[in-house]
Amino acid sequence: MSVLEAARAAGIYIPTLCYHPDLQPYGGCRLCLVEIEGVRGLPTACTTPAAEGLRVRTETEAVNKVRRITVELLIADHPSDCLTCSSNQKCELQKVAAYLGLRELRLPKKALDQPVDDSNPFFSLDRNKCILCARCTRTCESVTCVGAIDMAYRGYQMKVATLGDRPIFDSICQSCGECMVRCPVGALSPKKSLPPDHEIISTCAYCGVGCSLLLGVRGEKIVSVRGNPAGPANSGKLCVKGRFGIADFVHSPERLTVPLIKKNGRFEKAGWEEALDLVARKLGAYQPEELAVISSSRASNEDNYIAQKLARAVLHTNNVDNCARVCHGPTLAGLINSFGSGAQTNNIKDMSNAACLMVIGSNTPEAHPVIGFEVKQAIQRGAKLIVINPREIRLVRQADLWLRIKPGTDVALIMVIIRLILETGRQDQEFIDNRCENFAALQESLKEFPLDRVSEITTIPAEQIIAAAKMYADYRPASILYTLGITEHTHGTDNVMALANLAMITGNVGKPGSGVNPLRGQNNVQGACDMGALPGLFPGYQSVTNPNLRAKFEKAWGCTLNPQPGLTLTAMYRAAGEKKLKAVYLIGEDPVLSEPDMHHTIAALKNLEFLAVQEIFMSETAKLADVVLPASGFASDDGTFTNTERRVQRVRKAVPPPGEAKPDWEIGCLIARKMGAKGFEFTHPEQIWNEIASLAPSFSGISYQRLEEEFGLQWPCTSASHPGTCILHTEGFTRGKGQFIPLSYRPSAELPDNDYPLILTTGRSLYHYHTGTMTRQVPGLNRLRSEELVEINPDDAAALGIDQGDMVTVTSRRGRVDSRAKITTDCPQGVVFMTFHFKESPTNALTNSAWDPISQTPEYKVCAVKVKKKR
Amino acid sequence: MNFTELRTRAHAEWQALENSDRPIILVGSATCGRAAGALEVLQAIKTRLSEIKVDCLLTEVGCIGTCYLEPVINIIKPGQPHLYYGNVTPEIAGQLVEDYLVNNKVNPDLVLGTVGETLIPGIPKLFDLPMLKPQVRIVLRNCGLIDPQNITHYLARDGYSGLNRALSLTPEEVIDEIKKAGLRGRGGAGFSTGLKWEFCRQAPGKNKYVICNADEGDPGAFMNRSLLEGDPHSVLEGLLIGAYAIGATRGFIYCRAEKPLAIERLRTALKQAREAGLTGSNILGSGFNFEIELREGAGAFVCGEETALIASIEGKRGMPSPRPPFPARSGLWGQPTNLNNVETWANAAVILQKGSRWYSQFGSPLSKGTKTFALAGKINHTGLIEIPFGTPLKTIIYDIGGGIPGGKRFKAVQTGGPSGGCVPSAHLDQPVDYESLAKVGSIVGSGGMVVMDEDTCMVDIARFFLSFIQSESCGKCVPCRMGTRQMLDILKRITQGEGKPEDLDLLADLAESIKAGSLCGLGQTAPNAVITTLRYFRHEYEAHIKRQHCDAAVCKGLVTAPCSHTCPAGIDVPRYIRFIGKNQPDEALAVIREKIPFPSVCGLVCYHPCEARCKRGQLDEPVAIRMLKRYASEYGQFSHKKIDRKPAESGKKIAVIGSGPAGLTAAYYLARSGHAVTVFESSPQAGGMLRTGIPAFRLPKKILDAEITEIKKQGVTIKASTRVESPDLLIAEGFKAVLIAIGAHQPVKPGIEGEDLPGVVYAVDFLQSLNLGKHPHVGQRAAVIGGGNVAIDAARCALRLGAPEVTIIYRRSQSDMPASPEEIADALAEGVRIKPLTLPIGLQKMNNHLAMVCTRMQPGEMETSGRRLIAPVPNSEVIFNFDTVICAAGQIPEVPAGFKLTLSNSTIQVDPETMKTGKPGIFACGDTVSGPASVIEAIASGRSAAISIDRYLGGTGDIEETLASPEGEKPGIPEPEERGRPRRPILPLAERIGNFNQVEPGYSQELAITEATRCLRCDLEEHSDE
Repeated sequence: MSVLEAARAAGIYIPTLCYHPDLQPYGGCRLCLVEIEGVRGLPTACTTPAAEGLRVRTETEAVNKVRRITVELLIADHPSDCLTCSSNQKCELQKVAAYLGLRELRLPKKALDQPVDDSNPFFSLDRNKCILCARCTRTCESVTCVGAIDMAYRGYQMKVATLGDRPIFDSICQSCGECMVRCPVGALSPKKSLPPDHEIISTCAYCGVGCSLLLGVRGEKIVSVRGNPAGPANSGKLCVKGRFGIADFVHSPERLTVPLIKKNGRFEKAGWEEALDLVARKLGAYQPEELAVISSSRASNEDNYIAQKLARAVLHTNNVDNCARVCHGPTLAGLINSFGSGAQTNNIKDMSNAACLMVIGSNTPEAHPVIGFEVKQAIQRGAKLIVINPREIRLVRQADLWLRIKPGTDVALIMVIIRLILETGRQDQEFIDNRCENFAALQESLKEFPLDRVSEITTIPAEQIIAAAKMYADYRPASILYTLGITEHTHGTDNVMALANLAMITGNVGKPGSGVNPLRGQNNVQGACDMGALPGLFPGYQSVTNPNLRAKFEKAWGCTLNPQPGLTLTAMYRAAGEKKLKAVYLIGEDPVLSEPDMHHTIAALKNLEFLAVQEIFMSETAKLADVVLPASGFASDDGTFTNTERRVQRVRKAVPPPGEAKPDWEIGCLIARKMGAKGFEFTHPEQIWNEIASLAPSFSGISYQRLEEEFGLQWPCTSASHPGTCILHTEGFTRGKGQFIPLSYRPSAELPDNDYPLILTTGRSLYHYHTGTMTRQVPGLNRLRSEELVEINPDDAAALGIDQGDMVTVTSRRGRVDSRAKITTDCPQGVVFMTFHFKESPTNALTNSAWDPISQTPEYKVCAVKVKKKR
Repeated sequence: MNFTELRTRAHAEWQALENSDRPIILVGSATCGRAAGALEVLQAIKTRLSEIKVDCLLTEVGCIGTCYLEPVINIIKPGQPHLYYGNVTPEIAGQLVEDYLVNNKVNPDLVLGTVGETLIPGIPKLFDLPMLKPQVRIVLRNCGLIDPQNITHYLARDGYSGLNRALSLTPEEVIDEIKKAGLRGRGGAGFSTGLKWEFCRQAPGKNKYVICNADEGDPGAFMNRSLLEGDPHSVLEGLLIGAYAIGATRGFIYCRAEKPLAIERLRTALKQAREAGLTGSNILGSGFNFEIELREGAGAFVCGEETALIASIEGKRGMPSPRPPFPARSGLWGQPTNLNNVETWANAAVILQKGSRWYSQFGSPLSKGTKTFALAGKINHTGLIEIPFGTPLKTIIYDIGGGIPGGKRFKAVQTGGPSGGCVPSAHLDQPVDYESLAKVGSIVGSGGMVVMDEDTCMVDIARFFLSFIQSESCGKCVPCRMGTRQMLDILKRITQGEGKPEDLDLLADLAESIKAGSLCGLGQTAPNAVITTLRYFRHEYEAHIKRQHCDAAVCKGLVTAPCSHTCPAGIDVPRYIRFIGKNQPDEALAVIREKIPFPSVCGLVCYHPCEARCKRGQLDEPVAIRMLKRYASEYGQFSHKKIDRKPAESGKKIAVIGSGPAGLTAAYYLARSGHAVTVFESSPQAGGMLRTGIPAFRLPKKILDAEITEIKKQGVTIKASTRVESPDLLIAEGFKAVLIAIGAHQPVKPGIEGEDLPGVVYAVDFLQSLNLGKHPHVGQRAAVIGGGNVAIDAARCALRLGAPEVTIIYRRSQSDMPASPEEIADALAEGVRIKPLTLPIGLQKMNNHLAMVCTRMQPGEMETSGRRLIAPVPNSEVIFNFDTVICAAGQIPEVPAGFKLTLSNSTIQVDPETMKTGKPGIFACGDTVSGPASVIEAIASGRSAAISIDRYLGGTGDIEETLASPEGEKPGIPEPEERGRPRRPILPLAERIGNFNQVEPGYSQELAITEATRCLRCDLEEHSDE
């Protein structure tokens, strides 16, 4: 603790401009000068460690004289537009000047006239106001670890600049705005900003990190968003989507406001009664096996609970699933198999305890930006980083090792790493012997993976594999982070189990800084699964095939329940294709864009006799619906989300829903009640949560009141006094002993050939989210990334006669998509990369619906395509 | 190989070299030598050697520090003294070598000195040269003498024996040895090196680092570069010793990339040290492991700060960070790190080689050992020097440095680089050490020493250094980044004549806060140049602010041309010179008349301070401005139409007491402003000192008469032979203002026993009686006591009055005589003798002559003024016999008691701006205010008085007038060809003696026009802002 922090803690004010609690002391503003007995000169309080018995004087003539001149100097160069400055009344320079009692300026005002960098859509950099406290550059260097801005030039010419002093827009800036948040003056300021009249604490609606937000509300509008410093997952930090991408979609004029019923092929406005009657009537007209409910990983826990309860208790079907199926299905299957629980083992903050981080099949800084900050900070503090990715993602630059793996060959790689660790005696034998089982079978299966063969399969040089094995085993604790690069394969579950094997042989489970950490993609994908929006599991991962559990739910819900596990999401589309499935109630999901093999999906949906879509926008899927029900959506409803680290957090209503839109849970309840069901008489999500807690032991200790008081709880939380669980499997595995799974290598379902010579792999852009339903409503995000780009290696591009920016046609056996080409060495030769955020270039028209036999998760990450320049 | 083997082998090689029959030639080819052409010299020698087929070892060595003599070569002939030559050019190098090696011939014009036991008659020993003698070369002991690229040379001269000794001691013992030696950091701050090492040794941590700071970047400083180029192993040895003592396993040398030769020599040295097993693992079998890496810096001054340098090595932006944590605890990559400057490391090596006891005998009580300095600026012997701490500044400047070039006056020395302070002559007694320099506001710094002479404007120099600091500030902390900028702006304003009186307080305030508030040493010392110049040269700041005047005539915003800026009366010199060049002498004269009513007088006798500042003088010789003025006054027709203006009569009467140049000038301008002016003169004729003090052979009376006539024509009434008893009475008589301009006519008595004897006269009286037409008796042998211009005039008059033997008795050296060199030369040519270093102590009447008892004087210690103190030589009294003794020991004003004015040192005290005395309506100007000064200063003073009196009487005070026609198209600035001024015309000796004819004829028309074209037309130069 520094003298400054000690003084603050004691309620003594010492002026400062460059100090910030998130940043290392800088000592640049020279305002926190103090006098310390026995110390020469005027030391800065921010850099002097506090010590017992130190006699510090914070207000002396000498100190204040220097402070005053220093502030005078700053003010002489500072524009005097305080009244119209967006930082007025928040400006720390104002505050310090007032504190020092400055009344006259002896120094001539200097008219600085540097052009304002307005290039970023969300914030501007006005260097004329900059006081060079370096909070922004230090933030970019050590908080977000992006390094887009730094100090350039010397002396009076010093300024905050990007590499090459180009506009921020043209730099590697990721627009997170963390710099802006820490700017003490108005140099970095939001372009849109009105002070809110109050702030509502909520949880971000984008990815699974679960950043706590403060939604600034003025009247009925969200006017500002900032990170909540108390948020355990993000400690106040946000990414570009969370900070700048919320208000625009919440208040979009495109929002659905009234129920719509399709009549003669056209949607017509309808009243709620009419719409609900129609839905209830239609759903009631089919047999349970002809019905399905598709729930939403973006909706709250309470919404999901109602959706699955509607399916099970009212429609008597287990045909309920959510889009976790197409992302982390293998995680659930694999980790339950290996550990007994399908969830992320360790919490986000715990990653900083790791001595080594293995990031495999994850572009963390783009897909989970705030966890990306955490990872990069850990590296800055000295942790080793192994990146395993076919693409040269940004994180590669910070990596100690980068294994450029051929897509779809992960099992081979992980298994040989295990083999190398065992061969060199680097395993944790004690952990293997005491905590795990089936080791011999694993060893046996390793024979299939000699190093030279794996090197050939994966196209990774053998010495890099050896180095990775050594690094992962030698630097403990080691943590594995992965996402869909692992799961979205026809061998996705094998991939997950391979990683579990690796963690277990090195004893990297159940300890701080260790673990197998699947980073969840959507805000509540964890919660949707937790709530039982899964074909075989009741809330809290209780099997529908278990008669005792079924009896518990039958009793609670006052009905009989179907013992047969239902269809998975992917199986539902096949069933619809075969006309076995006839009516679907779909909540907050756009399968037309998100499911693989789009043409097949569309055909399947068109095959349905009845499709009800509950949405906030007219999505591509909603266009195919018979009835569209407007949902109130994020910021207009209360509830809870569960983030990637199993933390249940509150979301709160901040603004009224648009038009007549209603909360998802309420619509579900209304349908159930229309169908004559009992047990849907909820008037507030808290009542729903209480029912969940009463039925699922993992959540039984969690209540809204505790969530209020303790700011989120990580399940399992089994009693009112249980503190929640940061790290899973600490004493024993959920399933008892960890199970080693013998594995063999299976190539991807569709490999390149002469007709389709390239591998298409898919992923995400920082600036967009999923199918773009929300982010495409945000003009600023669309400026930062306006269209789909097919990333292609320069050698491949040259061979195909493609130039930077050319329009190309990408064709697979299933479809074709036009998109602009981006030639980059980020992509290895033989591989092209696309996102799936843009409906104008629906990438999933190309992807393969071949699935992993265990989880039925499709192979988005590998399919064969050809690319041609469009003429 | 162990150390004994290494050393034995090196000794054997060295012996073989010394005992060989093969001659050796050492060519100083450090960067300084190379810049002067050493490599060309080397090539020329090589060519000649092959031509004359002499087998010779030709070696490049470092610098012995005599930069002003570069290129320097040393020819070593077996069994003979080594011969040093300086200023060697490729053209003569071959011949010098051949002469000595083949013909055994020494070129006495170029030889600097010898090194070795035997001497060559008439040639000094090199290290007896005034520049080298006071030096003590410890750090530089090998520079210029050994091959820096050959580790054997270093080993043969005890190199690495310090390391060997250190390895036999415990680390603590090594640190103790450094502490006992009293070594302090040579990088600037002067912190105890031993303590610093100890802190780092005691800091917890397993990977410790040592760093050698070779980022030297002060303008004009090259100590470290020179050492690295001349003796790189001494630095490596120190680094190794330090690493061992501290427990470091890795070391870095951080050297500026802009020192390629130093880097090259370091690389070679590192390679050789590695090959010899002096770095790497298990060094000299001791178990000590150490690796050294060389890092090149991109040249940021702030990287001299240790924390910034460390950041730079780490690959970050070179910005300092606050301490604590000190690098000793958390430095490079967070590990305990010790950083010292190149010179500190080299000292550590010597200390271990020779022992702390030996080392601590050098230097002063608190600052042990020696310090290298780069001596630069306005100094004769620029170069790299090494002196024991405690050596006074004046020894460095006048003995080692050889004084100021061009006979200029010393003004200040800036020590410690741009962040040091400017020490004025009053403090030249200060011994150079950390505490003493701090006392006078400066620092030792890393060892820059820049000497400034009278041509340096101290405001401008403060601006210069601050502008360096400002552009080198890293920008991290507010006081340094913005404070220095504000200070620089203020200084710029002042140098452009836009300063305000309150600026000085603001500057001081800013300076104080920047010192107290800045993060690192750069900022904390940044204001030093301003603080010290404000302290010692405040009057220069005030001159800029209050009078828009730059004494040194360098501030471009104030000075259109240095000549006219320097002219006390502000005559527009370049303009009249241009008119002369265009053969328009009338217009030239009109230009001169715009400022003075005495153009002819000034053309003859002005002491022309303008010429000393003439920029042409930096190229070859100053333009002969006085001679051109004289030409204009002789050839120009003075047009009355131009000058006759009829001002409205004010009806106010003004009395001027005294008709010298000051009084008449004031009278002239007041009359032209419409006032009725009466000049009262006690002598029978007007003119004051112009008439009574200056002999006719310099200023013919008719010329003076003509100029006074012109003044009278303006309506000035002169009442001669009228002594005023009281100005108050004049006021009572109705004069609205009285100006006292009575000059300084009272001789100063030299205080010699017997000076009141008959035959002893005062020069003023002597000259006055002569000039008023008398013919004083001088006899056969006349003596003049004194060394000023009056003494010279008196001596030359005595000669003309018929004394065949005229002797000037002067107590100091002839070179210290204040008289103008031209006058001295003329006098000597005419036969005047000068007896310098002779002090008259008594006069006695002996028969019909005067016996003067004199004692011989000898020059002693240097005074801070740059003159040597003189002291009597004991028992050296001599007696000279003279018929007449003329005392010329100076004059003072004689203000009658009846004036009832406040005097100070006999002069009337006035407000320097308004010339007002304490009494209303009574003003004073000229010598009576200033003490004896020059004609032009008297004229300037008269102008000021006129302005002030006119204002006092309700006028505007505007006496400016344009008399010349517009210039028309101004000629461009020519590309000057080097060409001196014409030799000064002078009458043949035979025509000078025995009469009072004017000795100096003027320029012919042709000569004047040619000379006028030498003017560089500074006033037409376009000034850019920076």
